[in-house]
Amino acid sequence: MSLPALIAMLLGISLTSYALFAGADFGGGILDLLAGNRDKDRQAIAATIGPVWEANHVWLIFSITLLFSAFPAAFSALGTALLAPFTVALLAIVLRSVALGLRASPRGPGRSEVLLSRLFGAASLVAPFAFGVVAGGLAKVSTSARLGAAPVPQVPWTSPFALTIGALAAALCTQLASCFVALRLIGSDEPRLAEQFRRRGLQAGTCVLLLGLAAPTIAAAAAPGVWHRLIGAALPLLVAGVAASALSLLALSRRRYLLARGACLLTGAAVLWGWFASQAPHLIGSRLTIHTAAATHAALMSIAIAGGVVLLLVLPAMYLLFAVFARPELEVTE
Amino acid sequence: MITPPLAVISHLTAGRSQIGTSLSFHLFFAVLGVGLPLMMLVAEGMYLRTGDPVWRALARRWSKVFGVLFAVGAASGTIISFELGLLFPRFMAYAGGIIGLPFSLEGAAFFIEAIFVGIYLYGWNRLSPRAHWLSGIPIAISAVASAFFIVTANAWMNVPRGFQIVHGRVTHVDPLAAMFNPAWATETSHMVFGAYLATAFGIAAVYAVGMLRGRRDAYHRKAIAVALSMAAILAPLQLAVGDLLGRTVAHHQPATLAAIEGVNHTEHGAGLNIGGFPLPGRSGDVLNVKVPHLLGLLAFDNPNAPVRGLNTFPKADRTPLAPYIRLAFISMVGIGTGLIALSLWYWLRRRRGTDGPEDRLTLMAVAAAGPAAFLANELGWLVSELGRQPWIVYGVFRTSSGITTSPGLGATFTAFTLLYVGLTALTVWSVRRIARKPVEGLSVPALRVA
Repeated sequence: MSLPALIAMLLGISLTSYALFAGADFGGGILDLLAGNRDKDRQAIAATIGPVWEANHVWLIFSITLLFSAFPAAFSALGTALLAPFTVALLAIVLRSVALGLRASPRGPGRSEVLLSRLFGAASLVAPFAFGVVAGGLAKVSTSARLGAAPVPQVPWTSPFALTIGALAAALCTQLASCFVALRLIGSDEPRLAEQFRRRGLQAGTCVLLLGLAAPTIAAAAAPGVWHRLIGAALPLLVAGVAASALSLLALSRRRYLLARGACLLTGAAVLWGWFASQAPHLIGSRLTIHTAAATHAALMSIAIAGGVVLLLVLPAMYLLFAVFARPELEVTE
Repeated sequence: MITPPLAVISHLTAGRSQIGTSLSFHLFFAVLGVGLPLMMLVAEGMYLRTGDPVWRALARRWSKVFGVLFAVGAASGTIISFELGLLFPRFMAYAGGIIGLPFSLEGAAFFIEAIFVGIYLYGWNRLSPRAHWLSGIPIAISAVASAFFIVTANAWMNVPRGFQIVHGRVTHVDPLAAMFNPAWATETSHMVFGAYLATAFGIAAVYAVGMLRGRRDAYHRKAIAVALSMAAILAPLQLAVGDLLGRTVAHHQPATLAAIEGVNHTEHGAGLNIGGFPLPGRSGDVLNVKVPHLLGLLAFDNPNAPVRGLNTFPKADRTPLAPYIRLAFISMVGIGTGLIALSLWYWLRRRRGTDGPEDRLTLMAVAAAGPAAFLANELGWLVSELGRQPWIVYGVFRTSSGITTSPGLGATFTAFTLLYVGLTALTVWSVRRIARKPVEGLSVPALRVA
């Protein structure tokens, strides 16, 4: 494997981790928005994402640094072409983080808590939608020679295909979060509350399946470039994604939450890698590939080594984080 | 597109103002993000050693505030990582492949920090007291590491090394030479000491205000004592590091040196301008005291060394903001000197008695020192960033060549300025709310006795 391909793979892993784990945190915000005045739901969501969401967010920072260190020309073109949707995503991420960080308790005694909850929820809906729209637009521009040949191509992020991918991303985040929260509630012996999240998971999962089938259909009608790539290199992943999505629905309906979460994570991974496969080796447009946009060999080598160090340090620490919060609380002695 | 009042400022000015606002905002949180974990560790460590609940109460209170500040700081840091690409994409196309290494390593440090912040903030009742204290150590280390890596990248922008330009393309990249450029050591230590100092004075100021309002108890005394101990150790070190950084600037950024020292015409055996108040559009400073030969001695170890004047640089290669840069510089140095004096005063007085001085004047000085120390950090960054202009990479790449070709910066600048106003209000409200709560685990009599 060439050095640019190795780093592109690392970038893919980082983006996948961000989409799945931070995606579940965004989904938590969407569920919070849907929770109305049911404060118990809200507390269950907060307890699930509370300790982990900051760490999950770092995958985004890591992806950005990988992208601009290893593929500076592509980073530059992405930033120029996608100023508007990235600004929207950025504002949403910031408002989400701040609202969640400042909300003292998910149970709303005062109006301020309610306002922060609404802000957290609304921003959590906007962020994955904006990222989905960007991904859809990039898939379209990178597979079309007509659109993608300019040094900084116009990315059609408001096309029907891109908007469908945006909605798919938001639905997937919601289903993921439902699985995470339900699984945690079953673990802490609250099966009745888990039912609420099972229902949300089934609703969101149905949207995921429908949008997942709609996207290729729209591509076939309106984006032939994407369609040809989808039924080419990406076909096995497309099939796997649809199958995993159906499996997650089946598992949820039978209350097999562990299986449902696994299948839902698999759906997300299949969608992402289907996207990567559909536009590889193009990063943005048809001119900037992982080879033409790559930094010098020495720079790539240093990034590959640093990336390896990051994974070696982070994966055990991440495991520790999840392990500490899988344990029950200690008796408080005061 | 909405651009009304900002239609009058140029595309480049809008972009520079947006990233400048973002950096100034983030710096406040970055400084506390570096400093607070160490203070939390000290307080919690004192609790483990002495069993005194006041220390535990302080550690818990600071960790609550840290939780809020970390969330806002991580968010504002995310803004900057995006803005590098959204506002200055052509700069990143040029520099990304040269200074990617420290940024990637910063990613690792930020990861470790965020993971252990989760464990520390949510783990008070899930870990043994000792394990909980230990989980704070990676936070303190990785916060310093983050600052270190980011500042090496800034040092590279000031003193670029480790690459060549052949036919307009970046080649022969040596990532380690770029990261460990001649300015790395002085710039990073100046930043880390600056962050610790501002946090220490900031904490002391908060509790000095409390004492001025009549809350004179062990909780307040301990907080001030621990903060000013740290300050007394670090303030003189910061002076020494600042002097070394000045030499780095003198050797590698002659135009910047001329601007910050107010040297308009080349001088042999240059004197140091002290206290001169620069006025735009006027050559020479008001109320200036010139100490002969001192600038040459400080900057080049030679009292007769020539110091190049700002007017010897082509007009396109010198900053139009020289008076403001000098003003920022002398204000920073002035504040720093005042902070050293204050911490020495506090410790001289404390040696004689049991507690530190608690008269109104001292407490008011400590209360003022907090904001002043943060201001000094902001001013230092203004000197670094404005002092380098018109270059984004000194002597190699102009800021105007780095700005995006995408339109709409007036709108994004407006949006982000409003965002920062809102975030500031929210953060102040949230921290005040934490501060108003009664101190948990401490009854009032216990406080009075201790």
